[in-house]
Amino acid sequence: MSEKPWRDVIAVDDLEKDWVTRVEVGRTTIAVYDTPTGIYASLALCSHAGADLCDGYFDNHVIECPLHQGAFDVRDGKPIAAPATRAIRGLEVRVRYGKVQVRI
Amino acid sequence: MTQAIVTPLTQALEEGKLNRGELKSLMQRSDGPALCKLALWMLVLAGTTTLITLAWISWLIWPAMFLHGIVLVHHFSLQHECVHYTVFRTRKLNNIVGQICGLIILLPHRFFRYEHCDHHTYTQLTGQDPELIPLPKTFGEYLLYLSAIPYWTAKFTEVARHAMGRLSDTEKRFIPKAEHAAVYRDARIMLGIYVLIFSGMAVTGWWGLIWYWIIPLFLGEPVMRFIRMTEHVGRPTVAQMSENTRTNLISAPWRFLCWNMNYHAEHHYVPLVPYHALPRLHEKLRDHIYVEPRGYFGAHREILRQIREARA
Repeated sequence: MSEKPWRDVIAVDDLEKDWVTRVEVGRTTIAVYDTPTGIYASLALCSHAGADLCDGYFDNHVIECPLHQGAFDVRDGKPIAAPATRAIRGLEVRVRYGKVQVRI
Repeated sequence: MTQAIVTPLTQALEEGKLNRGELKSLMQRSDGPALCKLALWMLVLAGTTTLITLAWISWLIWPAMFLHGIVLVHHFSLQHECVHYTVFRTRKLNNIVGQICGLIILLPHRFFRYEHCDHHTYTQLTGQDPELIPLPKTFGEYLLYLSAIPYWTAKFTEVARHAMGRLSDTEKRFIPKAEHAAVYRDARIMLGIYVLIFSGMAVTGWWGLIWYWIIPLFLGEPVMRFIRMTEHVGRPTVAQMSENTRTNLISAPWRFLCWNMNYHAEHHYVPLVPYHALPRLHEKLRDHIYVEPRGYFGAHREILRQIREARA
């Protein structure tokens, strides 16, 4: 099975510094995180109740859901605070020619 | 799950009540303001504790304990903020302080977090909101609720049930299976600490904590019940956040005690906004929410009016 292709999703310069940026890729919303150790991305939906993580609070490597404050480490998607118990779906990310690319 | 659920915050953003820049600015956290406030909080506690000591051999100990109790029961407000991780930027501090508050008022922190999540999801929806306080049908029911007797009965039953390794059907709905054991453990630890404290008093013969903690807590709880009623009781039991929640405009000392939770509708709109930014959020949302300008007493006048009209 072939790997999913890389897709340009946003220019690095358009990312909100040290914050989360919402990006629409087709019909899918993804959250792109600018962190102290690089750029990460995940699907935007919280694994707990389906709220939009792009409206959440972001600090360092942790995204916090706007509805119940469940929190996730964006580096691996793992939940780090209740009520979240399941990981969010992280996406492979790379930067090429000033663009953030994800496999989706 | 491919579509995000519509939260009050999503709605507020879509309707232009807030923009993302404002939201980001309002959500910023810091340890400093809360640590300063906590220092002041300790001073207030020291002051009311001193009043009890000064009034020890007179009848004035009762009003002193009542005053101290009012401060003690407001640890609920601080714990509530900690549940939302919005007191401190450092997440661990929210958990530590929240657990200490819970120990003071018999409310295990983890359990409260899960219960409170469902309160935010199903605010004021009968049969779904686990924190819903129904509008009393009679003045007797109203007074009974304010006595805090039903509240304490429910709390003692709840903690005992968890310590025995059981959850009610409602609790099973909002606590994930993976956390059941942790909820039982929390209740056992909490009861264990209480046993240790009371054993310590029995061994040393110094029963001071009964006067500095237990009696004030029971004296003060009706005040907290009075305040908790003002948040939703008497508002429509519908999903619309602009309708089902009441913001109460109150004086600065009360705002200090309740960690600005009188801005309750704003808090429900954006639970991520720390207590110190709620007045700013109020300025943004004041025309879109229900505001009671006469404060807690105004809310109770409205509740009493509704009870009277329902009986007529």
